[in-house]
Amino acid sequence: MTTMARPNVQLQFARSPALRYVLSALSVLSALGAALLLEHFQFRNVADGLFRIAIAITIWNAGTGPAILAVVLAGLANAYFFIEPIHSLYVPRAELPHFVIFILFVSLLTWFAAVRRRVEAELLQARDKLEIEVVKRTEQASLLNLTHDTIFVRDMSDIISYWNRGAEELYGWRAEEAIGKHSHQLLQTEFPVPIEEVRAELLHAGRWEGELRKSKADGSRVVVASRWSLRQDEQGQAVAILETNNDITERKRWEEDIQNLNQELARRSTELESINKELEAFAYSVSHDLRAPLRHMGSYTELLQKRISSVVDEKSNHYMAMMLDSAKRMGNLIDDLLAFSRIGRAETRKTLVSLAQLVREAVTEARQDIEGRNVVWKIGGLPEFYGDRSMLRLVLVNLISNAIKFTRTRPQAEIEIGSSEGDKDDLVVFVRDNGVGFDMKYVDKLFGVFQRLHQSDAFEGNGIGLATVQRIVHRHGGKVWAEGLVDRGATFYFSAPKPQGHLWRP
Amino acid sequence: METLNKIGRILMVEDDPKDVELTLSALEEYNLANEVIVTHDGEQALDYLYCRGEYKARSSDNPAVMLLDLKLPKVDGLEVLKQIKSDAELRMIPVVVLTSSREEKDMVASYKLGVNAYVVKPVDFHEFVNAIKELGVFWAVINEPPRGSVRK
Repeated sequence: MTTMARPNVQLQFARSPALRYVLSALSVLSALGAALLLEHFQFRNVADGLFRIAIAITIWNAGTGPAILAVVLAGLANAYFFIEPIHSLYVPRAELPHFVIFILFVSLLTWFAAVRRRVEAELLQARDKLEIEVVKRTEQASLLNLTHDTIFVRDMSDIISYWNRGAEELYGWRAEEAIGKHSHQLLQTEFPVPIEEVRAELLHAGRWEGELRKSKADGSRVVVASRWSLRQDEQGQAVAILETNNDITERKRWEEDIQNLNQELARRSTELESINKELEAFAYSVSHDLRAPLRHMGSYTELLQKRISSVVDEKSNHYMAMMLDSAKRMGNLIDDLLAFSRIGRAETRKTLVSLAQLVREAVTEARQDIEGRNVVWKIGGLPEFYGDRSMLRLVLVNLISNAIKFTRTRPQAEIEIGSSEGDKDDLVVFVRDNGVGFDMKYVDKLFGVFQRLHQSDAFEGNGIGLATVQRIVHRHGGKVWAEGLVDRGATFYFSAPKPQGHLWRP
Repeated sequence: METLNKIGRILMVEDDPKDVELTLSALEEYNLANEVIVTHDGEQALDYLYCRGEYKARSSDNPAVMLLDLKLPKVDGLEVLKQIKSDAELRMIPVVVLTSSREEKDMVASYKLGVNAYVVKPVDFHEFVNAIKELGVFWAVINEPPRGSVRK
């Protein structure tokens, strides 16, 4: 702001001193001229009045100094032209009181005028200052209006005196509606602590911050982060409170959601932990407590067999043999189950593993089982996997031995092992056979523990192989699935995330 | 080597009477059962080793070998093992853990405590008999125990 809102002509004029004195002389000369002219036309005793007018004009327009000059000039002119003897500055005794009164009167006038001018100048100055202040404030207010932050001011009795556009936008009341209202009543403010504490802190520290709940014009509630600043006058007296609000309703809701989710997560992981502990205890007790009686059954049966096998008939011997066989079978089941549970608990030691190498090993291992059989192997390109070598080996051994087992009835078994592109981040490996297949209706049962889709006398096994496969693949962050048709073969797939930083090498 | 007639004393710690019976019958086949002391829990085993309680009056020699089950009442096998292996006198006794547990953590814990052998009882009686026989023959007959052990 460089220019004043309303220029003051009078003060500007008065700023040039020379001009003011010239004005003073001119007005006295004009009065003299007019008086001489009127005297010429026989008008007497007008000079006094005209000089007073000239002095008055000078006082009014030019200030104290020029007025004194005007008084002196008028006095001299009066004495010279109008007081007998004319054309002399001599004032006779009889005219002296008249002349002195004239001088005193105009001097008094000048003094009044001087006082008046001083007061007026002060008033003008004050007005200008005020105007500047008003302009400044208006400007600040309009700047505050530009922000989308909610800002409002209230006096110490909480009556709103300023309400910016951000406040209009957030709360829905226009400035005209809000100004003059009691802030907490209008907004139905809900404090986290008693309002007395808030006030005490505000007065003590000059500011307060906190979360408040308030109402909008439409009745809905919002949560705001609120900051209060105390405005004090020059004497340090609190005069107003400036409050800014930020709408954090959404953020609060997210925070609450996240908190709830975290709690739920913590609860579930505790649950999971205790379930895992239970499982571990269970596995331990299976390992220890189930094996003991089993071993006793087998052992006593064997001791019995040793004592009486030569004296009892063949059927009795058969029964004892079956008891021993069953004990052994149950022992194997327990061992498999334990191995399965151990996979879930064992640490994985991950390295970059060549699946092609693992397949070669698994096929070599299976050679014994396919003696005398016609098996055609189709082994395609296989990627490298990032995983636990012994676990991945177990996956392939299980899948390949399954393929061998379930193609047993085929004159020519065909087993294909290969890889295909999965989703962009996954590697997919499959083992396909032309064996007895399965009904897709039971696909969900394939990977369950002890789940079998075939009678045990047709295909031996205890239903733990695919469950083991699934568990290992899950521990590697992958998936297992299968496709099959009764009598038309089956394909088992597993996937795992691609090793990072390594190229696909088929 | 001296004759095989010199048999070391075997301390068996086993709470299951059937296991005791089966183990003894396996040792019997090789005439190793005579010098077997049977204790039924960890506390009793420690009483024996420290010659206290009911074993106050026994001669203070150490057994040639100790067959230790892990799952025992009162003081369990790992605790017994820990006490033996941290005792300057007793730590020289060879300890064989003979257990049903195939749990790796038991095995690791036992070896960490300084066990001399860890044997999982086989389900098959043949194998069990063989295992016991070999254990008995090795530790009680072939192995030269530290001085202070009983030899018959």
